[in-house]
Amino acid sequence: MAEEPGRGLAMVGLGFQVGDRSILSDITLEIAPGDCVAVVGPNGAGKTTLFKAALGLLKPSSGSVTWEGMDVRRMGGRERAAALAWLPQRTNVQEAVPVLEFVKASRFRFSEGRAAAVDAAMEALRAVSAESLAQQAVTTLSGGEFQRVMMASLVAQDAQTFLLDEPANHLDPKRQLDFYGMISRQWQQGRSVVCISHDINLLTHLSPLERASDVRVIGLDAGRLSFTLCLTDPSLKDALEDLFSMALRVVEVSGRPYFLPGDEARP
Amino acid sequence: MSLKLVGVTVASLLVIAAAPFVGASLQGDDSGFILLQLRLPRTLLGALVGATLGLTGAAYQALFDNPLATPSTVGTTAGATLGALAVLVLLPGSQMGLPAVTLAAFAGALVVTFAIAAIAASGRASMNDVLLAGIAITLATGAVTTGLQFQADMAATFEAVRWSLGHLTQVGYRGVIMLAPVTVVCALILLFQVRALESMLGGEERAHAQGVDVRRTRTICLAFGAIGVGACVAWCGPIAFVGLIVPHLVRLSLGSTRRVLLPMSALVGSSFLVFCDALARCVVPGQDLPVGVVTASLGAPLLVFLVARRSRA
Repeated sequence: MAEEPGRGLAMVGLGFQVGDRSILSDITLEIAPGDCVAVVGPNGAGKTTLFKAALGLLKPSSGSVTWEGMDVRRMGGRERAAALAWLPQRTNVQEAVPVLEFVKASRFRFSEGRAAAVDAAMEALRAVSAESLAQQAVTTLSGGEFQRVMMASLVAQDAQTFLLDEPANHLDPKRQLDFYGMISRQWQQGRSVVCISHDINLLTHLSPLERASDVRVIGLDAGRLSFTLCLTDPSLKDALEDLFSMALRVVEVSGRPYFLPGDEARP
Repeated sequence: MSLKLVGVTVASLLVIAAAPFVGASLQGDDSGFILLQLRLPRTLLGALVGATLGLTGAAYQALFDNPLATPSTVGTTAGATLGALAVLVLLPGSQMGLPAVTLAAFAGALVVTFAIAAIAASGRASMNDVLLAGIAITLATGAVTTGLQFQADMAATFEAVRWSLGHLTQVGYRGVIMLAPVTVVCALILLFQVRALESMLGGEERAHAQGVDVRRTRTICLAFGAIGVGACVAWCGPIAFVGLIVPHLVRLSLGSTRRVLLPMSALVGSSFLVFCDALARCVVPGQDLPVGVVTASLGAPLLVFLVARRSRA
């Protein structure tokens, strides 16, 4: 990874504490343009906090988070929204607005007329094959449809980097794969993608087979970086075993590695 | 949807246009005077006040993402009431009259709401905390108000009760001219927040990620909502329910899209208050009911009916 500052998102020595409880400590991480990074770790490892710090929603207790060398908390809102878009783990929408209006709202950073915003929102819905939902109320969508619409919001915001927090949680197996396929397409179109998941078997679907070696997997354990490995690295299995404190074995299906629970209890 | 929009718009405008002609029949020499000097300014005043209350209610509900948020739940109304009653009770029969009450009410509304806005702008409190603080301050202010009334003599108490019912005063064009600039400016500023409020549909943190300056939006909405509502309450007393009911009526008939909800809450608020005021002139012949009595007794059942109908659908 390059050392020079000012390329994409950079965290240096990032720490975040609540009282005397340390949520993140000494995280140094760089997401350059075009990177695809999977963040894995057990529940409570600090993955979501990492994103909130990246977005400037939290004030770091130590260290810094910068975009192209600028402190994310000092950037203008629109400028930051052009750099980073976020799919939160949970989004609660109470109002029954039409999907198209909801997606259009994420065009906030653009100074444009209503017609242009509607076109862009429609385009974004098409990009995730959700154009048929345009007039439906957001509150009536199924879980899978809603995540699709959330993804469309990110596409409409058109930021350089997508921060995705457990995007396929609560989806059925087919829709999980569809969703990761969608993420993969966004990455291949040139965006940077950072994807949090504790489902280690979905990560392989972040990329097409031939680009699997371009995907970085980052292990987060109790607020610390425990490893950074390429998705195709053979030592990933051992690293994941340590991270989740369980034995794993690797099963390869059409060239993709899947991790299943190992036979014996881990010593 | 757009047909409904046109329908509601036309109906609202018709109600406002027809309102001055409702009431005791306009015959005789003084009919021109009654129409032009009494009923027309009063209708205009009602339209301004109704628009401000409806729009501010809609903006607050969108800002707090809470269907119960209104100018009265964040303390604006309670502050105005305290200010007005302090003058009515502590300076009974004062020769300062209306201007003093009006100014005190305005000041009360601003002090309380700006305290709330300061909490909201700190960014540390969640909007639910802000709402809770608003309700707490409303209750505390209400207690002080009651204490003031308890200390007052009969005449002042009577005056205070009358004031707190809400009424469209016979202020002529002077009131309209004084109120119009303030309310129009506040309304325009609130309407400029529509895109930020749309982004907040998915929560404040997500709006922040989409580029919205959440603290700024909170402060602008609360502050200019308070200035507009404070000015209205100062002239007319706390007119009940308009800020709560009108946005719900609009939402139930035209949907929740902010771009529609905010301006239409202003228009429907206008026609609703003007309609209630016309009704207040007719219910008891020869006597004006306080319009606040009509808005509450008409609006509350209407809201319950619409909500019940929706939950059956």
